[in-house]
Parts: sequence; structure tokens; C-alpha cells
Amino acid sequence: MTTSVEEHSLPLGPVAVRDGAPVELAMQQLFLTGRLFAAGGRLIVRHSFVASGKQPVEAVYPFQLPRDAALRRFRIEGPGFSARSELRPAAEAAETYETGLARGHLAALAAAYRDGLVNLSVGNLRPGEPVTVWLEILAGVEARDTGFRFRFPFTVAPSYHPRARTAMTAEGAGQMELPEEEFGDALLPEWRTDMAGLHEIGFALHVHLPGAECEVASPSHPLSVRFRGGEAEVGLARAGDVPNRDLVLDVRLAGDDGGKAPAVFSGRGTDGRTHFCLLAPSKLFGEAPRRARQVVFVLDRSGSMSGEPIRQAKSALLACLGALSENDRFGLVAFDNQVEVLDTLLRPATLFWRDRARAWLESIDARGGTELASGVEAGRQLLEQGGSGELFLITDGQVWGTEEILGAAGREGVAIHTLGLGAASQDRFLALLARRTGGVSRFVSLRERTDSAALELFGAVAAPVAREVKVGLTGLDDAVIEPLPGPRVFAGSPLAVFGSAAGGGEATLELSFQRDGPTVERRVKIDIGDGAGGETLRLLRGARLITDAESGYGAVQEGEIAGDKAAERRRERQRRRLEELGREYGLANQAMSLVAVVERPGDRPDAPPVTQVVPVGLPEGMEMGGVFARRAPAKPLACFAVPGRRAHALPRSRRPMAFARMPMEKAAEADGFDKLTAIAARIEPDGGMPGRDIEERIRASVYVLLAFASAGNGPDFGPFRRHVRRLIEFLEENLPGPLSLEQTRAVEAAVRLVRTGGTVPEGRWLELAAPGHPPFPDWEYLLERL
Amino acid sequence: MKPTSADRRLTLTELAADSGVAPRTIRYYIARGLLEGPLERGRKAAYGERHLERLRKIRELQEQGLALAEIARVLDGGEGGSLPEPVVVETYQVAPDVAVQVRAGRSPWRKRLIREALRELARRLAQPEEGDKPY
Repeated sequence: MTTSVEEHSLPLGPVAVRDGAPVELAMQQLFLTGRLFAAGGRLIVRHSFVASGKQPVEAVYPFQLPRDAALRRFRIEGPGFSARSELRPAAEAAETYETGLARGHLAALAAAYRDGLVNLSVGNLRPGEPVTVWLEILAGVEARDTGFRFRFPFTVAPSYHPRARTAMTAEGAGQMELPEEEFGDALLPEWRTDMAGLHEIGFALHVHLPGAECEVASPSHPLSVRFRGGEAEVGLARAGDVPNRDLVLDVRLAGDDGGKAPAVFSGRGTDGRTHFCLLAPSKLFGEAPRRARQVVFVLDRSGSMSGEPIRQAKSALLACLGALSENDRFGLVAFDNQVEVLDTLLRPATLFWRDRARAWLESIDARGGTELASGVEAGRQLLEQGGSGELFLITDGQVWGTEEILGAAGREGVAIHTLGLGAASQDRFLALLARRTGGVSRFVSLRERTDSAALELFGAVAAPVAREVKVGLTGLDDAVIEPLPGPRVFAGSPLAVFGSAAGGGEATLELSFQRDGPTVERRVKIDIGDGAGGETLRLLRGARLITDAESGYGAVQEGEIAGDKAAERRRERQRRRLEELGREYGLANQAMSLVAVVERPGDRPDAPPVTQVVPVGLPEGMEMGGVFARRAPAKPLACFAVPGRRAHALPRSRRPMAFARMPMEKAAEADGFDKLTAIAARIEPDGGMPGRDIEERIRASVYVLLAFASAGNGPDFGPFRRHVRRLIEFLEENLPGPLSLEQTRAVEAAVRLVRTGGTVPEGRWLELAAPGHPPFPDWEYLLERL
Repeated sequence: MKPTSADRRLTLTELAADSGVAPRTIRYYIARGLLEGPLERGRKAAYGERHLERLRKIRELQEQGLALAEIARVLDGGEGGSLPEPVVVETYQVAPDVAVQVRAGRSPWRKRLIREALRELARRLAQPEEGDKPY
């Protein structure tokens, strides 16, 4: 049969179910621009609207804020008009918007709700009238000693709330409604598996590079990168993309650990003061002390984790257990609607308990909702028996109503390290959860390896390099540090110090902290300049303060009853604080909204505009049936008959898709990494590999040590650095044992080689060390190569 | 003469205040076909008692856990004169003398919560009551 071209080019795009007439989406494009650096980003998001049909339209675009973010202002432009937003108390702004609409004017409102959810509403868009809204957003980044990671949500995750109402409205289209008493009139987008006809996304960002030699890469989008001086111009490598995942951008120093000197960003703000952000690398605080750990792993087994995420999370947990010694104690918690524990007590990381953990994890699959608070609480209770410790939480964080969890987390003394997974970010929530508890947060996309990221984070947070950190700044007039930095510093994550002073100049950063023994004091000379960029730093600090203030806003605390007088008074105090912060920094938040009304010639009151909520793509990797009830549509407004004209073929690669200069992950690592993870899980509590006798154990341990080293791991670097350290300790402790002089020398040479980061001689180390290959080959193979 | 409640004319703001539903939500309901548009257009755009009643009905159905797409189906069936959509229910026998019916089509996590509650109910019903305990 011959298929004519015409058949393929017939009605493309969305069509109404009733009459098959085309339905045009009011928002056509979203384009992200702005500047990024290691302390944050100042972003402009361009939303392009064109309404079709015969009636005026009210377009509502729901989106979620990145971490430490706040809206500053917007400009609305169209044929013959341009207007700027005003910042007003939320209720007043909503009234202004409604009055504007009732009079027939073009009106726009950016209102923030719980969980960093924002609704941008643009009402009375006339048919065919192109209207553009330029929205300015201040956003934080995930700072690391060697660079930073930036995430920007291009879609929203259909997260879990026990009282959310969900429905599948058409095949591949789902809707969710949140309880009004918590979320007011917030609207959520419709999620679609078919990306045809959805608005197009794009980006072009200026990135300030933290050093002379830097890598810029993205595991989420193909990039085009141009380096110019100390900056990179980073854009989407193709004409457009679909809104079904976050943009994730990594900026990293190439082949450099970043050193010990703090990075200083400073400048004069519009208030006449000098604003600064200092990033003090973790190396400035020294090495983490060795002490017994108590750690509870909390695993999210909700339905949204099903498939590859939970498989990788489980193997990563087993590998993390391999990094624990006999003196360390651990617990395992898995949660969805229910909480299950490996055992009701913390257990030593002996082979017996690790085997129990393996068997227990094998029985864990993904299902149900995300009662994260219960999972964290169970972990906390386990830790309480042991005195102190930390939680290591692996979750997609896809839960609404996070303020209660954050409120409770801030009151406890347990550090929560969070590893977030997923294509759609709950980065804001997980970053806040870690910060409020003095932990570290990482978020990986599904195109990256979960197990690698888990091991990397677990290695970094083995113990804080500094506790009870206090920061001072001398040498500048009227210096203020705000917000106060967290009390702990972990390897790989710098201490961020925001503040301001009457003027710039030479100053001394004074650090005092605990590590192993007496209090350690450090003084570092820094130069705080008065150049440009101070206003951005002031705004970033404001966004951070607002995010912190919002984190408990509207939450019902323990012992309170929703709606009672004490809860209302506390809420009112929080609202006033948010209003004050909003006015001081000129930034919107849950208590302050942005509004603009444009009076166009010919405006007159008419029927209310037709409200259209801008749909988005279901986040990559999620299954519709995991969230939405399967049901035929009763009365759908529109469906998609044929893949639309803006259909994009998405590459399914799980690896980063484009690199500048050099790749961050080497090719063909996936299989090797799986093998290494499996090997790591077999390391015995004394740090060595299993074997029939000590000779066989030493021999096996050397093969494994060389396998780790050949894959880029050393005692201080690589995701398996904790395992490498433990193997070296085992070997050094047990030499010479029954070994001959020649064998002992070979082992010593291998240890020396790995310690100094030397090149491992070519050999089938990984293949020979992998499970399923016992017994390990004899000494001859080793002696020939060492 | 004071207008009767049937004659009342409300602006969108008044309708929102009386119903407790935000103006933008009301517009959204109109766009989705859950609620009729205003009685008149232009400056006199106004809403009446039947809008208020419909909003109350929608709220009531929402409190029963129905999503807007489902509410549209219920309201259409009830008022459109056509036969109502068949409601699919799942029956759980939690005890020899107790069966619980659950409306089908819940989200997976809601289903799971319901099943857990039913298991708990079954467990409790299986235990002998205080008075039934043998001496």
C-alpha cells in the first residue's frame, strides 16, 4: 500500500473531540535566558502567548520554582503596549487582576503557592494578539567545591498528596487537583504523554566559569557551548524541545580540585551597600575524622520510583553498605503509604546483617504513594536508639505539602542527606530538607546513574569535615552575615556565606569549628570588591531568605490544630515576615504577588475570558498509570488526533547527550559500574574481600583494589573512594601474613600505586575481580604486571 | 420590593464571596463546561442562584473525592436528561456478614489506602469483641 504524503500532513495538532476543530494552545513558547554563576542565577523566562478562537482567553501557566528561587518582576508586551508588574500583597494583587479582567483589560498575575508552585495567569488575551511576558527569577544552584549544578524545571511532577483528586481525562492525559484549603485556587497543568502540540522550550544562558579550564555539560539536553573569555554561552543544540524534563547544567573545573581559597563574589547594590557571597571550599576545613558511623538508609518505594530508579537505588544501597566497617551500625527503612524496616534496631554492618539487608531489599518493589514524613520519622526513631547519626534519603521527592515535613525536620538534630531522582525536579524541597537539617543534597536526572551518585554522596558525607561551624567577618564596617550558614560542612560541598557591609575592602573571614578534638580556628584574608553585580547578590540573598521563610509557611505544626487561634497567629506572623522580606528585596513570595493591568484601546467589559491551563509533558520516565486512575474521558475539552507539527523525537540515551571540551562520564562505563557496585557490596566488614583463608583474601583484595583504581577510583576520589580506603587498610593490616617476599612486594607496589594515583598496568582487573569469577586467579598474573 | 433569591444577580466577585470559590476557579469551571456562563454579557455580566447552587454541588462532589472530569460526568448525567453513567463498584467481603463497596477508578495510591483500611477493618472484625470472649 502506498501512503500519500497528504495523509501524513492532514490535521496536525490538537483537535476538539466534539467537532474535530483545531484547538490552539494559548502559550506557544517558553524560552529561558539569563546569567549563571557559582552563587546562583538571574534568569529571564520569556513566555509567548497567542490566543486563537473567537473569544478572549485567560492562559494559566503553572510551574515550580528552582531551589532558593523567588520571582522579581515581569514585563508584559504586545502590539502598542508594554507594562511592568507591581509587587503587592497577594490578596490585593488578586483583586487588581480581577478588576482589570472585569473591565476588559489585559491583566497578568504571578502568584506563588505552597511547595514553590507558581501560577502565571494572563487574562483577556484577544484572539490573534501576540503577548509576551518576560518574567525575572532569582535562583540558587547546587554549589560544589569544583563547580556547580543548575536545574530549571520545564515541567511539573504530578506529585503525591493523600487528598489530591486525580483523573485520566483522555488516553495519555491526566489531571490532578489539590485540596483548596491548602493550595487555594492553585491550578495544576494537564500532563500528557504525547508531546505533540505542547509549547516549545528553549534556552540560551551566559555562564560565568569558575576557572580557566572548565567543562560545561548537560545530562538532560543537547547543548551548544561557546567559550568567550571567562564565560560560556550555553544554548539548546536544536531548534526547540518539549517540556517533559528539567534542564540540568553542570559546570565543573577540568582536572582541578578547586584548591582551598574561597571564591569571592561581591559588588555594590542599589541600596548603596556592598553585598557578597563567599564559597569556602570544604578542603579549607581539612579531612573528615575517622569515627564509627550510625546511618539509616531511607528508601522511597513509591510507585513513581518504579523501574530503573528503584533497581539502581537498591544496588547503590548494597554498595554503600560495603563501605561500612564492623564498628559502623546501620538501619534500613522503605516507605510508600506504609513504612517497613529491616529491623527495629540499628545493626552492625557485619556480613550477617548485610546478607539480611540484601535479601530484604530484593523483596522491595515500587508501589503506592509517597508518605515521606512517615519514612523519615521511622528513620529518626531508629537513630534515637543509637544516640546520634544521620539519615541517607533516596527519593524522587514527588510529594505536595512539604512544609509540614520541613517544619518537623528543622526541629530535630538529625542530619538528612538527600539524593533526589527524577526528570522533574523537587530539587527545591530536597535542598531545603538537607539545609534545614545540616545535610547535603544532590539531585540526579534519570539519564544519569543513580548508584554512582549515591556512592559519590555517601562517600562525601561519611563524616562532616567541620561541625558547629561559626563564621565571622572582620575588617569591614557594619558587616552582616545573613542567612547564617549551616552548622556542618561535608567533603565536596563548600560553605556558602552571604552578607553585606557598608563598603568593600580587605577583610578576614574567621572560621571556628569542631572536628575531632579542640575547636579549630581559621582566618583567611579576602578581598571584597565594590564592582558590579552587587545587586544580583543582594537579590539572591533575598531569595534564599524568602525560601527559608516559606519553608514552614502554612504548615500545621505538631501539637497544633488547623485553624485554631495559635496556628492562625503563627501563620499571621509568618505572613508579615514574608511581606517584609518581599518589600525589602522587591521579591514575590506566597504573601506578595506580581500584577500588571494594561488598558488597551477598545477594551470593554464582556463575557469572562475562556480559561485555559497550559498543559505539560508527563516527566520522562514516569508512567501515567502510576499516578492517574485509568478511565475513559467523560467530556474532554480536547485531545490529540495525530502527532502534531512540533513533535520531537527524543533520544533515549541515559548518558549525557552533549559535551563541551570533554565528557564528564567515560564511555562504556555502565556495565563496568554495575560490576564494581556488585563487588563493593561483597567487601567484608574488616575491609577485605571474602576467601577461604587469609592468603586468598589478600589476593582477591588486590585484584579488587586494582579493578577500582583502573576505573578511576583512589583513596580520595571517585565514587568508590571509601571502598578503596578500606581495601588498603585491610591489606596493610594483614601484610605479610603467609605471603612470600615477592608476593608481599607486589601487594605493596599495588597499594603504593593506588595511593599515589599512578597508572594501573593494563590487565583484565575488572573482569577477574567481578563476582561469578571465583576463585581469583593465582599470583602469577599479578606478579607479571606489578 | 426586595428581590427574591431566584432573581438575585451577582457579580463574579459576589459569586466568589458567596460560594467560597475563587473567581479564576469559577472561570475555569465555565471553560470546562461544569458551570454555565454568565446570564448576560458586557457590563451587566451577572450570575444567579443556579450558579451558586451548581458551585455548592461541585464542592460537595469534590469532598467525596471526585475529580472535575468525574464531576462533569455526574452533573451531565443528572441534568442532561440522559441516563446516568453506570458506576463501577468493587465489592470487598471483609467479614462473612460485612461487604464494602468501593467506587472503581481511584488513583493507584488512593486504592492502596482503601485496601489498607479494608484490611484493618477485616482484621478488627475478625477479633472477638470484649463481651464475646469466653471465660
